[in-house]
Amino acid sequence: MAASPEVENLTPEASRARSREVATRVLLAGSALLVLAVPFLGASPFFITLLTEALIFGIWAMSLDLLVGYTGLVSFGHAASFGFATYAAGIFAMNISADFFLSTIVAILAAAAVAFLTGLVVTRLSGIAFAILTLCICQVLFQISVVWRSFTGGLDGLIGVPLPTLFGREVEPGEELYLLTAATLIVCYLLLRRVVESPFGKTLLAIRANEDRAAAIGIDVRRHKLVILVISWMTGGVAGTLFVFLKAGANPMSLYWIESGNILAITILGGIGTLFGPIIGAIGFIFIRDQVTTMYRAWQFSFGLAFVLAVLFMPSGIAGIAERIWRRLWPARS
Amino acid sequence: MASAFLIEGLHKSFGALHAVNDVSLDIEAGQVHSLIGPNGAGKTTLFNCITGFLQPDAGKVFLKGRDVTDLPSHKLVKEGIVRTFQITQVFGELSARENVELAARSREGLNFDFFRRASACREAREDAEESLEVVGLIEKAHLRPEELGHGDKRVLEVAIGLALNPEVLLLDEPTAGMSRTETERIARLVREIADRTSVLLVEHDTEVVLSISDKITVMTQGRVIAQGPPEQISRDPQVQDAYLGAVEVGED
Repeated sequence: MAASPEVENLTPEASRARSREVATRVLLAGSALLVLAVPFLGASPFFITLLTEALIFGIWAMSLDLLVGYTGLVSFGHAASFGFATYAAGIFAMNISADFFLSTIVAILAAAAVAFLTGLVVTRLSGIAFAILTLCICQVLFQISVVWRSFTGGLDGLIGVPLPTLFGREVEPGEELYLLTAATLIVCYLLLRRVVESPFGKTLLAIRANEDRAAAIGIDVRRHKLVILVISWMTGGVAGTLFVFLKAGANPMSLYWIESGNILAITILGGIGTLFGPIIGAIGFIFIRDQVTTMYRAWQFSFGLAFVLAVLFMPSGIAGIAERIWRRLWPARS
Repeated sequence: MASAFLIEGLHKSFGALHAVNDVSLDIEAGQVHSLIGPNGAGKTTLFNCITGFLQPDAGKVFLKGRDVTDLPSHKLVKEGIVRTFQITQVFGELSARENVELAARSREGLNFDFFRRASACREAREDAEESLEVVGLIEKAHLRPEELGHGDKRVLEVAIGLALNPEVLLLDEPTAGMSRTETERIARLVREIADRTSVLLVEHDTEVVLSISDKITVMTQGRVIAQGPPEQISRDPQVQDAYLGAVEVGED
């Protein structure tokens, strides 16, 4: 980090804010190292596989946070970005090449194309209308995946997607796939952090606050919504690619509306507008689902209840509470 | 003087209601042009039509001779037609400085810059500071809108407008709900900024309007009933009837 020349004449308040920022970076770097170190800490293969899925959901939840948290667009069809990419990457890997980078690029481009085309319509909307239309688009894709058997395998989905290769070498399931996922998550996080802190990201906040006001300072609201929708889908596409390699297959249920609901709940529970929170939300969701489904079948009920309670009592999510604690540790005022 | 901003025969109806009926305005560069009239006279509708928030049914808007009638609001801002809102609508979770910086970055065409940190856009920061300086908010730049008084919030709106470097700045009731002192502060400010931009002002406070305007247009029920310099307007019997009523408008 380049030290800013104005360091000397900072007010005490600003310098405390700066030290908190440094501490936050240290914390983030520490978390990243911890995530990468998990396979070397003697974790069980089962745990590793579960955590792989959680991190994939984390990437996906971050992609939704761009819409919900940063732009104020509540998508109720975000399974589409993920599910569509599982098919794009899966079909590509089965028929052409299982190279991880190539498959990811194909899935990203396919997701971007769908996001762009549907975005031409949905970016005219906001609020409930946006939520409903995104839901409809997702259901249309779900129906296509079920009906177009010769291409998608119908209700059975894609079966027998090969393991991905990286620089010509096959990625082993388990620890290697985990490390690939963790590295991808970290790259996605850093890139998206960059986006939300850029001038573009700040204009999104203006759109979220008030679209008319944003237009009145010269912001092209529709174009911004379209661009962030495409970026969001591309990120969701990365998650879908990893998922299809993890499961060695794709399934229409990835496109079902319940998945859209799950990822929305994960994102909100984790804490919208933070990027980090949704990752925590995803890890929590995957592990709690694993624990609770073995205990009783109505686990969706307990998840729903937890969601309602969370929205009532911690509207800023897990990340909001974590941030409050963090601010107490590094107070802005002494 | 050259006319900076010209509105010709603007019409807008909602069903049977002619909200704006054949309104023409001619705003000269560097002038304060005020628009007055009772509630429901169509002033805000006219604003919305000029700034692309509503589509006029007929009529043309010209900025420095260029037809800009059909441009969407964000493009009009780029052309130099900038508005504030009647109800304060600054971005609540950003500080005053960030609010203005957002506008400055927008003017500099950085809305689609993905790769820089927003806080590293030096030029925008300097422009924002200059705007805040002009309106006298620089000391309070770090505060969030909710921490600012009502008057300061309205002034912040003006600072945002200035940061967009307008050719013509449309102010929608900047003194609404203000105390006497605050109103005078805004009035002085409007007069000052006319050095940088033409101003179209919607205002209820007749005293303010008469003291700071170069030209006044009076509207009732969507129509222009009088247009001219303040001394002429204050003597116009039709205006007295329709709007000024019994208010003392004599100049001191």
